[in-house]
Amino acid sequence: MDPDTNDIISFQELSLDKENELEELEEEDELEEYVTVGFLEKPKHPKFLLRHRFPSKTGGAPAWLDPLDLPTGKSSICDFCEEPLQFLLQIYAPISDKESTFHRMLYVFLCPSMICLLQNQYEQWKHREEDPRRSVKVFRCQLPRFNAFYSSEPPRRDGNDKPLIVGAALCSWCGTWKGEKVCSSCKRAPYCSKKHQARHWKSGHKIQCHQIIGNLETNSSSVLREKPPDKVACRLWPEYEMVIEDECAFDLEGSEDISCETSSLVPKHVTDDTYQFLLDKFEADDNKKSWASFQERISKCPSQVLRYSRDLMVNPLWPLSIGRPSLVNIPKCKYCNGSLCYEFQIMPQLLYYLGVKNDSDSLDWGVIVIYTCLASCESNVRYKEEFTWVQLYPTAPVT
Amino acid sequence: MAERGGGDRGGFGRGFGRGRGDRGRGDRGRGRRGGRRDEEEKWVPVTKLGRLVKEGKITSLEQIYLHSLPVKEHQIVDTLLGGRLKDEVMKIMPVQKQTRAGQRTRFKAFVVVGDSDGHVGLGVKCAKEVATAIRGAIILAKLSVVPVRRGFWGNKIGKPHTVPCKVTGKCGSVTVRLVPAPRGAGIVAARVPKKVLQFAGIEDVYTSSRGSTKTLGNFVKATFDCLMKTYGFLTPDLWLDTRFSKSPFQEYTDLLAKPTKASLIESTERVEA
Repeated sequence: MDPDTNDIISFQELSLDKENELEELEEEDELEEYVTVGFLEKPKHPKFLLRHRFPSKTGGAPAWLDPLDLPTGKSSICDFCEEPLQFLLQIYAPISDKESTFHRMLYVFLCPSMICLLQNQYEQWKHREEDPRRSVKVFRCQLPRFNAFYSSEPPRRDGNDKPLIVGAALCSWCGTWKGEKVCSSCKRAPYCSKKHQARHWKSGHKIQCHQIIGNLETNSSSVLREKPPDKVACRLWPEYEMVIEDECAFDLEGSEDISCETSSLVPKHVTDDTYQFLLDKFEADDNKKSWASFQERISKCPSQVLRYSRDLMVNPLWPLSIGRPSLVNIPKCKYCNGSLCYEFQIMPQLLYYLGVKNDSDSLDWGVIVIYTCLASCESNVRYKEEFTWVQLYPTAPVT
Repeated sequence: MAERGGGDRGGFGRGFGRGRGDRGRGDRGRGRRGGRRDEEEKWVPVTKLGRLVKEGKITSLEQIYLHSLPVKEHQIVDTLLGGRLKDEVMKIMPVQKQTRAGQRTRFKAFVVVGDSDGHVGLGVKCAKEVATAIRGAIILAKLSVVPVRRGFWGNKIGKPHTVPCKVTGKCGSVTVRLVPAPRGAGIVAARVPKKVLQFAGIEDVYTSSRGSTKTLGNFVKATFDCLMKTYGFLTPDLWLDTRFSKSPFQEYTDLLAKPTKASLIESTERVEA
């Protein structure tokens, strides 16, 4: 290699390369990003999804980590339609560095109404000071290894595991939120809100209430507490267990051999000059490019529903380029005022598994990205709210 | 695998964000996820349109064209057109870029897909390997499938076999003009547009081109543009007012809506039409 000519060539190329370098970085294979991916599977037994097994699951009722101090009041309802939020999924994401985060669960709730989601999309751009209203809420709960609720030894998985104490009563209609209010006639059925009490009354409690009062007079039985699971299941989203895999386990094995033996109409050595024009027509705008790279990335494992990475170098995988937050849009942690970092994102494949209908007003999202406190701070509030960002598909076709 | 005493690792059992140190690269294709074949075959739709197609609520591409819904997943076209879709690589072209360490060559693939019955698509993709470029171009071609209108030259006997009228398409300096031809004339065109027209399902046509047709990219794109225009041309048989129908995203809400609501929507649509 002749050093002089190389220097001259490289000197000239420096200017060319600067603008192309960015392009080149994008085109090169991404550096190995360590991302964990979640899949859905039918649980072998619903018992495995109870809270003392520390499950990661979707649908059904949440397995509250701290069974007593559940979120109440404003945090449990949609800020737009005032309906209690529905449980979407929870993941078990402990952090090994700190003692206080030995057990760590993240819960995602959202209002199933698309109208609220559209309004949420608008409000999420607002600054924290304006106290924006949200219809998607994420809660983080963490416990140290030695706590009052669970044994400090790992669950033995032999069917005999039990939590140390019984949790608070949950609403008889949704089985999700704390049942603070009680039915005024039988004084036994707990409810989380007036709306759920009214619905439960209409759909059967009216008849049962009298029976319960009758039972109470004869003998005191707390049978009511055991009922919720089968009756509420039909109203909530179908329950699945989330299985965790590493994304790199799906990398394609080797590349197919390069064969230039394909027949083409025009001989190969003829080159053209007007391809930039063609490129513009066929390939490009930003939205299409991000969609193409999104598709490529998920094609490794098409049935993924969740992507997780606490690595600071990893960016969320956005399907579109519009509607992404910039650094200004991501606020500071509500409790410790520290910065937030991307933790996980929920993919649209989940909608397919949940079996949501596909009408014009049914739930649909591009991606929901969750940012959590980098330090995973402690505070008196047991279930701390974290920041979510929803990216929806544009309703009007974007040219 | 360290189920007991996870003192320094945090948490019991399997959780997210654990094992950041070990990359688990040795566990390639483990157990239940090892069957990568079934993962590939099973398509999990990502968009609402995809979910509708997978359920089977949308049975033909025409329903999608009618409402101009953007098709973002190529599996939609695969499901709807099925095995009838054929593809052909028109050209593989090496393009080079000068870098400090020599030249970096990539391959640009042009692919045409079609079912020879009124649907064509064109895709262009550039990649480091030929196979990747071809695969990517096929996907892009499927995403760009458009309907082609066919008509008659003279008597309306049998099935439509030629373009309905004279149409012209332009790309760069190349203009391609398609002229209706009588049955039996065949496709009278150069090699490149002939292929595209065959995929479209046009049996007889006269063509005329102008400009630097040596540039294959522009030539193919001009023909494609021409075919797209066949449905944009207003002919006398389209003079009747169209009755608008509800888009697939609306159709199914009406099944659940009360009768009064449905009649309201229809009456407003009639006023619009």
